[in-house]
Amino acid sequence: MSEEQAYEPKIVAFLCKWCSSAGSDLAGVSRIQYPANATPITVPCSGSISPLYILSAFNKGADGVLLSGCHIGDCHYIEGNYLARRKIYLIKELLEMVGVEPDRLRMSWVSAAEGAKYAQVVKDFVADLKPLGPQDKLKADRT
Amino acid sequence: MIDVQSIRDAARDLLTRGEVRAVIGYRRGSRGMLAEPVTITDPEQADELVWDATCFHNLALYLVEDRKALAHAQRTPTLPIAIIAKGCDARAIVVLMQEHYFKRDEVYIIGVSCEGGGVLVEYKLARLLNGAQALSAVFDGDELVVTTAAGEVRLPASEVMADRCLECREPFPKEHNVAFGEDKTGRQLAAPFTALGRFEALSAVDRWAFWRRQFERCIRCFACRSVCPMCYCDECVVDSITFPVAPDTTAEEKANRIRWIERSAVRSENITYHMTRAMHLAGRCIDCGECERVCPVNIPLRLLNNKMELEARERFGYEPGASIGGPSLVASFRDDDPGQFIR
Amino acid sequence: MTKKRTGVFVCHCGNNIAATVDVARVVKEMSAEETVVYSQDYVYMCSDPGQNAVIQAIKDNQLDSVVVSCCSPSLHEKTFRDNTTRAGISGFTCEIANIREQCAWVHKDRDVGTEKAIKISRSAVRRAGRNQSLEPIAVPVTRRVMVIGGGIAGIQASLDMANAGLEVILVERQATLGGHMLQLSETFPTLDCSQCILSPKMVEVSRHPKIKVMTYCEVQEVSGSVGNFKAKILKKPTFVDPEKCNICDDCTQVCPVVVPNEYELGLTARRAIYIPYAQAIPASYTLDEEACLGLNPIRCGKCKDACEADAINYDMRPETVVEEVGAIVVATGFDLYPQENIAEYGYGKVEDVLDGLQFERLCSASGATSGHVLRPSDHKVPKDVVFIQCVGSRDPAQHCAYCSKICCMYTAKHATLYKHHVPDGRAYVFYIDIRSGGKGYEEFVQRTMEEDGAIYLRGRVSKLYRHNGKVKVLGTDTLTGQNVEIDADMVVLALAMQPSKGTAQAAKVLKIGRDKDGFLAEAHPKLRPVESVTAGIFLAGAAQGPKDIPETVAQAGAAAAKVIALLSQATLSHAPTVARVRRSHCTGCEMCVTACPYHAIRLENGKAVVNEVLCEGCGSCTATCLRAAIEVKNATQMQVFEMIEACLA
Repeated sequence: MSEEQAYEPKIVAFLCKWCSSAGSDLAGVSRIQYPANATPITVPCSGSISPLYILSAFNKGADGVLLSGCHIGDCHYIEGNYLARRKIYLIKELLEMVGVEPDRLRMSWVSAAEGAKYAQVVKDFVADLKPLGPQDKLKADRT
Repeated sequence: MIDVQSIRDAARDLLTRGEVRAVIGYRRGSRGMLAEPVTITDPEQADELVWDATCFHNLALYLVEDRKALAHAQRTPTLPIAIIAKGCDARAIVVLMQEHYFKRDEVYIIGVSCEGGGVLVEYKLARLLNGAQALSAVFDGDELVVTTAAGEVRLPASEVMADRCLECREPFPKEHNVAFGEDKTGRQLAAPFTALGRFEALSAVDRWAFWRRQFERCIRCFACRSVCPMCYCDECVVDSITFPVAPDTTAEEKANRIRWIERSAVRSENITYHMTRAMHLAGRCIDCGECERVCPVNIPLRLLNNKMELEARERFGYEPGASIGGPSLVASFRDDDPGQFIR
Repeated sequence: MTKKRTGVFVCHCGNNIAATVDVARVVKEMSAEETVVYSQDYVYMCSDPGQNAVIQAIKDNQLDSVVVSCCSPSLHEKTFRDNTTRAGISGFTCEIANIREQCAWVHKDRDVGTEKAIKISRSAVRRAGRNQSLEPIAVPVTRRVMVIGGGIAGIQASLDMANAGLEVILVERQATLGGHMLQLSETFPTLDCSQCILSPKMVEVSRHPKIKVMTYCEVQEVSGSVGNFKAKILKKPTFVDPEKCNICDDCTQVCPVVVPNEYELGLTARRAIYIPYAQAIPASYTLDEEACLGLNPIRCGKCKDACEADAINYDMRPETVVEEVGAIVVATGFDLYPQENIAEYGYGKVEDVLDGLQFERLCSASGATSGHVLRPSDHKVPKDVVFIQCVGSRDPAQHCAYCSKICCMYTAKHATLYKHHVPDGRAYVFYIDIRSGGKGYEEFVQRTMEEDGAIYLRGRVSKLYRHNGKVKVLGTDTLTGQNVEIDADMVVLALAMQPSKGTAQAAKVLKIGRDKDGFLAEAHPKLRPVESVTAGIFLAGAAQGPKDIPETVAQAGAAAAKVIALLSQATLSHAPTVARVRRSHCTGCEMCVTACPYHAIRLENGKAVVNEVLCEGCGSCTATCLRAAIEVKNATQMQVFEMIEACLA
């Protein structure tokens, strides 16, 4: 087994409680298999995800960060995902500007009915992260 | 060209008539020809004020300092404080007022237009003077008039000006109580975001190589933060040594200080610090360029802030420092904000 | 802060979890966590023995927080939180680690599944380690309701709520109840007379002991929050005492002022003192201050002289009253899209081109022509009438983007009514397509075409103008591809419904959101269609979006049911996971105030203050605040920080 194949990217997945977390539940209920790389953290709303959470996850060694919320117009809190969209756009641009691979930060809208989509989002993300190898640009250098 | 005497007269009159409690401006510094910030309270001091090509500092910072001193002393002054403001300084003051840091009637803005000039960069000047010592430097139209021991030299302004001034489109302080100089809003000596555009043309690999070099150099002296009028927080979220303890601060709060990043000046922590700072300045940075000027290791910090400014303008139609009453960039949204990046 | 004493309970879920996750290992790993003082696994944690085991463990080990690693919180979070409460500690100290749906069911490899289950559980342990003991927030309730808008929606909601025993204040800006429905002649698809079905309801409202009707009034200001609103209501002076007025009509006989009658959409005139309709509620006259020559016996005073009942009082002044209510129903209705905006149809200036409501008045027995369809210009019976659908609607480029929903049906009704009035006349209907979803609606349209012989032309009218005493209508029939030219005696435009001016005003006063078209925004488009974004404020009728009478009545009933449910409790219970301000860090920049979708944050002495009743705990404020000065309880930045750490350990 080559080193590349052995590498399993570590992903922190911030899921909104109302849509994406429920969507991931549906993936479970439907027994749709997907890679175990993403560990979910349920938050009230995608709009509650501070840019600091993302930077912190990378700093703590995440190879990828997934953010997922309700589709535009469906936010349980009316407009949280609009606020999220703007903030995440900015931090994504900033990461890219600094030369961090833009594929390391992914955002998706996954509704409570989209179990299959959640599974696909994770599958795609893992597949896209593997060629990039471990993330060491923002990972804390404790030496 | 602005007659400095008119600024002095305005300051003196305000103090004499008791309309303001102090005037924040520039005076001749102790180091050669360079101006330095000063707060004057006596009308007699008005003649110390200067206005030239070395008025680098964004004086809005001293409004923040004033506010903090007043809060510390638990004083509520009845009179406003006056401030001499360039175009960029005035925009910073607008952002501070947008964030309710102080009210409009608590500040008297003596706007001074940079007209065709701005501030100079010392190394650019030194290069052109071939070792001669400048005694003073004032912009006059599109020229910089420099006095040296050997006499007066006239240099093309664009060759000595700071990049931020060359790219500036708003050299006139729109928000003011009184203003001196010509309104040259819209002037464009260099295309805005020139340096940013050049940088963004690089490949991702080259961009990372560049920043890696930059951030390895950062010594986390926090000069960028200290000089920034927008960094007025008592405690910086990424550096909790300044944790404010108030009478109602609970033990839990003290225990809940999050160490988002480590204090050691290593690359990973430096970059996280600077990226957090750029995010926190998105929609607030008015590109006075002071962070970049004061950086002792010459990290081109304007690139990060310019990137946020460019995105805010192009994607969200947002101009920092344009409106006291408008919503902040990250606290608002539009239905048609870009979302193509979302799966 | 004393260290937490957390208990971790890992469920096998029979074999559902245990097949993929090494449950014993999860227990062992969790017991190594700093805050964990007890851990165990059980085959079915949610069963009675399982829950009792949790209660016993809480008591035996003085646990102050609980993590249950099991199925999705959507299934058993409530079960375990209630259980935790039964054991004597706050239910909000209990966290669920979802190791079934998000782990065991989606992974096959046992090592991989176990590793992930450990991360998920550890993350929950960290979160629980900083959970506060919270109790639901109790809010006292005022058992009264204010309904804004006295059309059919407001009337229905008021009756439903009053019949359930709630006190209702019904506020209407016009001089009479009834709204637009009172202007209609007949209603589709049954063609029953609109006034005949509405008037009894209006009377019932006016006589109901629990309903206080306030016509000619406007809501000016609303403060407070769910359960306890305070509304400032302006009573505009009518200058006529409804108690004394016996509607003898002597006053209008002597009034010298003639102005267009807005209730008849300008088809007739009225006096400065007038009654909108014979059936108006309250049955009383109103003196229009703007039109009156002057409220002064010296200037005119004829009506006062003529009034034998002495009901007229020129000294009435505007009055403001304050009402305290626990909930508000907004039923402010619609207006028609202004004909003046339609350039291709002559900006409303072409004679004999009417809007739908004007046509209703022409057909109505109580209308200007006593129910005879006569064209306004010369009072002749029109023989060729063109009806144009989708005027102002479905036109994102110039007018309204949305479908106005009722126009297909009311146009069919208009064509039918016209044919009933003028059997030898010709009715032409220009349409884009026919949307007749609704009980009996499609059949009605078919009857209009087949039995009543209305001529339906698929296409748009490009232009119309006066020509030889008629209205020249130029259009295209897109089915035959031919241009159509009709010399019409009369044209009726099916103008879009748009939110009424009162709707815009109500949204502003109540600080409730509007959608992109200006209709009131519902809290959730599917699941909370009659609630506004603000707790305690409900929506009914066309103010929320175009709808017909049955839909409006249904929505009004639904809004009433919501209010009845809300106010049936002595106190309201609100989730305590709301935002909290760290005052020492707040600089009063107001970004959270702007970001909050619920208007739950305000500045007080330069610091943000959260109204815990309005806050829904979404955390938009947390992510926006640059200083971490505002956080949602039990979802703090510190908790997320430690959860991130746990996920990556």
